[in-house]
Amino acid sequence: MVTEAWMVSEIQKIVPDANIEATDLHGSGDHFHVRVVSDSYLGVRPLQRQRPILNHFKPYIAQNIVHALDLKCMTIEQAESTLDTAFDPHSEKKTEFFGVHIRREKKE
Amino acid sequence: MSFNWTPDELQEIVTNNPIVLFMKGTPEQPRCGFSNRAATVLGQLEEKWASIDVLSDPRAIPSICAWSDFPTMPQIFINGELIGGSDIALEMYESGELQKMISESSSE
Repeated sequence: MVTEAWMVSEIQKIVPDANIEATDLHGSGDHFHVRVVSDSYLGVRPLQRQRPILNHFKPYIAQNIVHALDLKCMTIEQAESTLDTAFDPHSEKKTEFFGVHIRREKKE
Repeated sequence: MSFNWTPDELQEIVTNNPIVLFMKGTPEQPRCGFSNRAATVLGQLEEKWASIDVLSDPRAIPSICAWSDFPTMPQIFINGELIGGSDIALEMYESGELQKMISESSSE
């Protein structure tokens, strides 16, 4: 089990100029949603933004110390237009699939 | 014929299917919130897509993660290229980038 503060400090090593907010989704220290906001992401594709962070956490993910890591890597401009992004994959509540993140009318 | 999750076999899947989702469970019965989110995003698209249940065989997850060099499930491939997990899929869907990527590839 790890903490939000640990998560932030580990990611800070990878993206030093970022503004980072980690949310422990269950209070269980293994499901995290993390917002990483940095202009170093300008012009970088989504997967390439995540790769360095995922590589860093690979051993923790493999040992299931970190079970879920939902990343939102954004530029400052993107972050300003994207408010709440937390998504809980194991929520008890029956959410509309996208958790709180969906901004779209349901088809049908 | 047996399937052994070798890099060649995995490569063949993503080469033969323009959109592939490696997920925990099935789109009808997802076994993880992130997989559910990824399947739901793909379900919004007009195109057909293939899904592979990585819980169907204990060898699946370690083999796929080693092959794609991506530590978590689900994983989405478009035209043989890994685009990322459910967080990236949703982000690209909301920005319209995912639809653009798929429509460009199907008109090739």
